[in-house]
Amino acid sequence: MSLHQLFLKIQSLFRRRSMASEISEELEFHQALLRDRLSRNGVLPTELDMATKRTFGNASRWQERLIELWQFGSLENLLRDLSFSARMLRKSPGFTAVALLTLTLGVGANTAVFSLINGLLLRPLPVPQAEQLAVLRMEEGGPQPNYSFCTPFFRSLESNHDAFADVFAYNPDTLQVQGRSANENIPGMLVSGQFFRALRTAPLLGRYLTPEDDRPGGSPEGLAVVVTEQFWETWFDRAPDVVGRKLVIANVPFTVVGVMPKRFIGADPTRSPQIFAPLATDPIIDAPRNHIDDGIHAWWLTVGARLQPGVTLAQANASLATVSRPILHQASDDAEFIGEEEKVHFHFVAEPGSRGFADARLLFRRPLLAMFSMCAGILLLACLNLAGLLMARGAARERELATRLAIGATRRRLIQQLLVESLLIATLGTAAGLAVAALVSRSLAALLLSGDSGWQLDTSLDVRVLGFAAFIAVTSAVLIGLVPALEATAGNVNDQIKDGQHARQRLERRRILPRVLLASEVALALVLVVGAGLLATSMVRLFKSGPGFDPHELVNIAFRMDKQQLEGDALMRQYQQLAEGLSRQPGVKKVSFEFIVPLSHRGWNGRYGAPGAQPQLMYMNSVGPDYFATMRIPLYQGREFTWADSKASGLKITLNRSAADLLFPGEEALGQQVIEERSHSTYQVVAVVGDTKYRDMREPAPPSGYIPIMQDEQKKPSLSAVVRTDGPQAGLASAARSLAARLAPAIPAPTLSTMNEVLNDAMSTERMMALLSVFFAGCALLVTAIGLYGTLAYATARRTSEIGIRMALGAQRMRVMLLVFRENALVATIGSGIGLAIALLVSRALASFLYGTSPHDPWVLVGSVAALSLIASVASLLPAVRAARIEPMAAIRRE
Amino acid sequence: MIREESGDLIQGTLEMLILKALARGPLHGYAVAEWIEQSSKQVLKVEEGALYPALHRLQLRGLLSAEWGASENNRRAKFYSLTAEGRKRLNAESQRWARLSAAVAFVMQAS
Repeated sequence: MSLHQLFLKIQSLFRRRSMASEISEELEFHQALLRDRLSRNGVLPTELDMATKRTFGNASRWQERLIELWQFGSLENLLRDLSFSARMLRKSPGFTAVALLTLTLGVGANTAVFSLINGLLLRPLPVPQAEQLAVLRMEEGGPQPNYSFCTPFFRSLESNHDAFADVFAYNPDTLQVQGRSANENIPGMLVSGQFFRALRTAPLLGRYLTPEDDRPGGSPEGLAVVVTEQFWETWFDRAPDVVGRKLVIANVPFTVVGVMPKRFIGADPTRSPQIFAPLATDPIIDAPRNHIDDGIHAWWLTVGARLQPGVTLAQANASLATVSRPILHQASDDAEFIGEEEKVHFHFVAEPGSRGFADARLLFRRPLLAMFSMCAGILLLACLNLAGLLMARGAARERELATRLAIGATRRRLIQQLLVESLLIATLGTAAGLAVAALVSRSLAALLLSGDSGWQLDTSLDVRVLGFAAFIAVTSAVLIGLVPALEATAGNVNDQIKDGQHARQRLERRRILPRVLLASEVALALVLVVGAGLLATSMVRLFKSGPGFDPHELVNIAFRMDKQQLEGDALMRQYQQLAEGLSRQPGVKKVSFEFIVPLSHRGWNGRYGAPGAQPQLMYMNSVGPDYFATMRIPLYQGREFTWADSKASGLKITLNRSAADLLFPGEEALGQQVIEERSHSTYQVVAVVGDTKYRDMREPAPPSGYIPIMQDEQKKPSLSAVVRTDGPQAGLASAARSLAARLAPAIPAPTLSTMNEVLNDAMSTERMMALLSVFFAGCALLVTAIGLYGTLAYATARRTSEIGIRMALGAQRMRVMLLVFRENALVATIGSGIGLAIALLVSRALASFLYGTSPHDPWVLVGSVAALSLIASVASLLPAVRAARIEPMAAIRRE
Repeated sequence: MIREESGDLIQGTLEMLILKALARGPLHGYAVAEWIEQSSKQVLKVEEGALYPALHRLQLRGLLSAEWGASENNRRAKFYSLTAEGRKRLNAESQRWARLSAAVAFVMQAS
């Protein structure tokens, strides 16, 4: 097609209607002149029409030819195919509904999980030249990469870097900002001097933080912070004079020097800090803790860098390798530490960082990929199912297709038409799936990142997600459509028209492919069901294993006391007042305190030992009076702590059963002495209590010890009240708030979480995977049932006359039923066998997600096969029963 | 579509005849058909509608341009005229035809 032609055609595209009328005007003009001539030549008026037609030809045919000429042939064909396909789909609403539903499910699930993967693993940071960014880690010979740096390492890297334009560090933190009445908790981030320079995003107002600000005491103008556009909106009402205003953070005034635009999210895509403060202000913001002075004992920083233009990652790594040792020696004079690190060939490594760093990534990568494969399985299943149904339908349409081939349609044309049909299904399914995906991915993200870990995930649709959806649509269209289309249009035209459904030989051959499809469908479904069974069983076992305390009707109320005035015994008296206030609330049965909420992923450990014995690693907590009764942890021996267990009364410790057995094997632990390794303090064992899970539900309860809060080394411990209630605790939140406002007006409003929530969060990955896999397995069973039923129903319908003849010749109805049923039974049995073999191989990949469940758990395997067999039997029985009801005479007469 | 007394004329030939008809100036479709019939002394009879696909194809290829104007009896009609490229093509085609027909005549007269 020449350029000129293309131009004219495109032009005509925009004046289609006038084109058509011009063409008919042109043809009419000619016919009018022709009639004049003919009547002048003596043709009778009654014969004029016929004569005109004879000389001119069929005017409407010419008109059509001309219009065609001006159109894009293939495009117009496509449109015609589309409308034909739409008509065909409308004519079989049952098929269409099943097709769309299964595809919506498959595409929706895939896109939802993909957008999670996209948000967490794929999307680059929205900063200029993100590909120049790197994330730094430390190699210490361990199996896990270590991304947590201490201050001395980072400061050395920051000040001597050749390969990097900028090196920066950050730490997500919660800032206490003074509001109108009390301090409020605001998510924030401590960032080093080169952080903003490296991320190269211009502030909306004012300036960003510079190395000048990242010094003790701040720049000469004082302590500076940068806020986000969102914070500027909610806190300052978008006041234009926000730059220069004060924010009191941790009781110290900071100056707002700039506002960052909304698109700036920092270097961790799963965090959304509202305030950025200089790293050097950590002693103020995290007071009384001081991560900077803690030196090599505080591994709190994530370190990133921007490469010098033109420098490759390999070059950067070479340069890092040479500085690693000097930096290690500079960091500390602890010879033991340096020696140990040198033994494992400690060195720094830079890895690609265009996507920033997120600790959530390390945690959720594998569950997400596992879920993604489950979803892909469902989509494949949906496609196989549709291919099977289309093939069955194609077989029913074979006479139509053969006739079209015979009257001159090319095979390519028919395949195109059939593919258009599947493309239409796929597109509609994808569109519906996309709509569902947006909702699903948001709730999935919420399910996955639940809890107070402060994670957020942007799962919005972007080019990558849409591209993925388009890819899915096309792939599934081809998967669904191509094989059936090739099958349906193959073969000899004459045979088809002559013999119709009696073309026996071809029929035999043609029955194999649908069977293969169905068998793979059954196999795939079985794999999914086994996976779901394993995950669900594991989840149930995990839940049943219990945490060691009674989590029901238990509420945690977290008080942050680190920025108020009271400390030591005075603070303890305040806690006591809070406890008394809380226990007076209606519905409250018991109140106590704990430093670490179990299973909240926080922890504290130390080495303790019997006098003269090797110290052992133990997990610790400091708890209030009546703690074990409140938590319903069995108290085997000894007594609860009381408010009288002050520092002056001698150090006390309570051991759990495992710790007691570890420190005093075969002995009575109660009343014994326990020595802490570092401080050499001696504790007296006052009780032995039941084991509880500490950080992780999946790990068995570790040996742990409890000390009274009154003897805690911290001056201003921030404790959580544990409250045992009877029934719902609706009023407790406001009661706790007003109580705190009255007794400790300076602290932020206390936050409530029920212990069940904490537990759910601790199992969120398992819960999500179990829920999803069970849902997917249910869908897989349903889809397989539809496939088995649909294919068999079509096949049986096509054999109506054969069955009629069999019955006329005396076949029993029971035998006919078996005959039909056998078809699917064979397919289902073979499919199950293959599926079981695959499941045995694949389920090993799930092993790391399973708790107390073998990936080859026989009950799960047997149960899955049984469930699948049951579903398959029901789906196959219906067409079989229908076949048995065929009236022989009616069936034969139909031919 | 276009019939000689025996057999069909190939498509290219019809297009050549159209170009020739328009060599003397713009004509509408009816006039083209008339001219071909008359100047072939009624030997070449076109199924007249078949003229139009050829006309439109030539227009699409840029060999003809078309314009709406008034006919001799004052009706709106679409007039076709040769473009520069069309004229070039006409020359090339007539030379080719002359060579071809001479050669065919030569063969047929050979004893």
